[in-house]
Amino acid sequence: MNKLKVFIILIAGLALILSGCSGFQTNNSGGDEAAVNEDGKTVVDFWTFWGSEIRRPIIEQIITDFNESQDEIEVKHTYLPFGDIWTKELAAIAAGDPPDVVINDINATALRGQKKQAMNLSKFLEEDDISKRFYPELWDATLYEGDSYGIPFNTDTRVLFYNKDAFKEAGLDPEKPPTTWAELEEYAAKLDKKAGSNYDRVGFYPLWGIGYDVWLLNANGQSYFDDQDNFEVDTAKNEEVLNWLKSWKDKYGEDVVNSYQAQIDSQQGHPFFTGDLAMIAQAPTFYTQIRDYAPDLNFGVIELPEYEEGNGNTSWGGGFVAEIPEGSKNSEAAWEFIKYLTDVEAQEYWAVKNFDNVANIEAAEAAAKSDEFTEDGTMVYEKAVENMEHTLLTPVPVIAPDFTSLINPNIDEFLLGSMTAKEALAKSQADVENLIEKNK
Amino acid sequence: MGKKRLTMRRKESIYGYIFVLPWIIGFLAFTAGPLVFSFVASFTNYNITSQMDFVGAENYQGLFTEDSLFWTSLWNTLYFVIFSVPLTTIGAIFLSALLNQDIPGMRVFRTLYYLPAVLSGVGVYMLWMQLLDPGTGMVNLVLSWFGIDGPNWLFDPDWTKPSIIFMKLWSVGGSMLLYLASMQGVSKSLYEAAEIDGANTWKKFFHITIPMITPVIFFDVVTSLIGGFQIFQEAYVMSNNGEGGPANSLLFYNLYMWKQAFTNFNMGYAMAMSWILFVIVFILTIFNLKLAPRWVHYEGEEK
Repeated sequence: MNKLKVFIILIAGLALILSGCSGFQTNNSGGDEAAVNEDGKTVVDFWTFWGSEIRRPIIEQIITDFNESQDEIEVKHTYLPFGDIWTKELAAIAAGDPPDVVINDINATALRGQKKQAMNLSKFLEEDDISKRFYPELWDATLYEGDSYGIPFNTDTRVLFYNKDAFKEAGLDPEKPPTTWAELEEYAAKLDKKAGSNYDRVGFYPLWGIGYDVWLLNANGQSYFDDQDNFEVDTAKNEEVLNWLKSWKDKYGEDVVNSYQAQIDSQQGHPFFTGDLAMIAQAPTFYTQIRDYAPDLNFGVIELPEYEEGNGNTSWGGGFVAEIPEGSKNSEAAWEFIKYLTDVEAQEYWAVKNFDNVANIEAAEAAAKSDEFTEDGTMVYEKAVENMEHTLLTPVPVIAPDFTSLINPNIDEFLLGSMTAKEALAKSQADVENLIEKNK
Repeated sequence: MGKKRLTMRRKESIYGYIFVLPWIIGFLAFTAGPLVFSFVASFTNYNITSQMDFVGAENYQGLFTEDSLFWTSLWNTLYFVIFSVPLTTIGAIFLSALLNQDIPGMRVFRTLYYLPAVLSGVGVYMLWMQLLDPGTGMVNLVLSWFGIDGPNWLFDPDWTKPSIIFMKLWSVGGSMLLYLASMQGVSKSLYEAAEIDGANTWKKFFHITIPMITPVIFFDVVTSLIGGFQIFQEAYVMSNNGEGGPANSLLFYNLYMWKQAFTNFNMGYAMAMSWILFVIVFILTIFNLKLAPRWVHYEGEEK
């Protein structure tokens, strides 16, 4: 028995030594020299998840342009699948050998800053303040305690696409799309084409394309958290919004909602392309699908309708930042590359080739005038750029990063009919407050 | 001092150690370290990059007393294990009994039923998401031929877990192969002797086949029990955004642990969760091992 004990202690000791090697320090003092290639250029390892046949050539062109624009830095692109990239990044940071620039989710930038995964960029920004390049809403999302931890790259927003031919057929003016929720309901009712218990055409359903949270944001004009980290979801207005959303579900019925949802998910025969759905809220990049799968569709695009007149057309967006992981040995060179990546030329190129919203204001506005877009493309892109002024981001609060997992299930229960809106909101409010209390 | 010759027994045990050495080295080098580290770190607020302060049993205490999602995820996982393990075991035995007949074309059937075990991963989950679609999916279409109004499967919190168990049943081919192999190994003479004594097919099945394959049943139950507690991918792929919805009905233990570790960066907390799961699975496995001599029959074993 004694032998066994000695053996176990030995193993445990060995294991501790082994685990100590890969410790949790981020600074590997032994390897501080920058990586240099045979030409004497500093090598910057750049990780993205852009591996598709559309995106990869575009980002690689930007990299080539940068490499040719100067002779001190060589950027090397590493593609990692979306599902892996950030866990791999985290492992690389923990191992003390991270890449130099990584594309990451803008909404959790502050959290990564707090956890010292991303490098504090203020020392670079003091020398060259590029913050004015970007939409303020995006820039603010990168801040933790006033310092930026990532530079905005691209973004998106939510707008309403509508079928102009369907409008004409229903006797509506295709140049006067709905601007308020009440109009949305009225128009949808006119656009509905019922056939027995089924529909030949559905006017509109608010939860296809976007979630309940965007509608709450639209109605409130602000997210659940205020500047002081006070959380509020249990309000009379939110109750009304939820009941409004539910009323659509009750109107069309579970079966119609599910079968349309399935068609939307499967991306084959999207009901908006076939004219079976007259309006849908989507990100502007939805246009590229219309362009590719339904080129003859006569459609228009407008900002999300407002809760009531004068309430504001608040919309929701996300995006990605370029960040330097903590422990990067080539941070100076990485910063040079990030500056190039987020400057007008590269951003405009990305915007035009990808039909994607970019974070750089000047580039976005230049892209909207690009002659590479068709008429429809220009229309959508202009609206997308315009819509940025109504667009809010919902960065995850550092105090409760996973709070939505305490709200979503309650809203699910509500939409399924097993909770009232009041109950769902009250429970969400209590659960999230508990979480905040626990994390304090 | 004469050199003492090694006895046969000693020699054999040394050979034995040499044979298991690669595994032991691998275990010590790659598994034992992280294992011990995760145990130590489960008592800290470790977040991988910036902090690792000792917090005592706070993580464990928080899990048990303040975290409702912990209990939800544990319940979801238990539900899955309780139904999926017996059902897949019975399903596999039943299937292999059918495929153990001597009829022409059997090889084709065996191949067909084994195919799902070859196909695996995300592709299969996507396929099942389409099959289980309430409006347009094949499953509800077939049910409708019999006048059954199929459920909403992956959209209804009461049906999400049954959906996944159902999907798992489809791929019992893997363990079927084990049962089939061991059924083929059952000596013909036993059946002949039973036939002479007038046993019918059922009696032969329950009194000869089943007892003879109990070692494989035991193996299958133990491994699928452990595997069942580790269910993750299915929920990650088949719920919207990998969130474990609707209404957290697919928030399995490992999915919640993964979220804590990699989206909230509460690595210490997640490590505490992994140790709780380890203890649960460990106790169940010990229980299984203790129970085994009562029902598992090893041929040639001295009683």
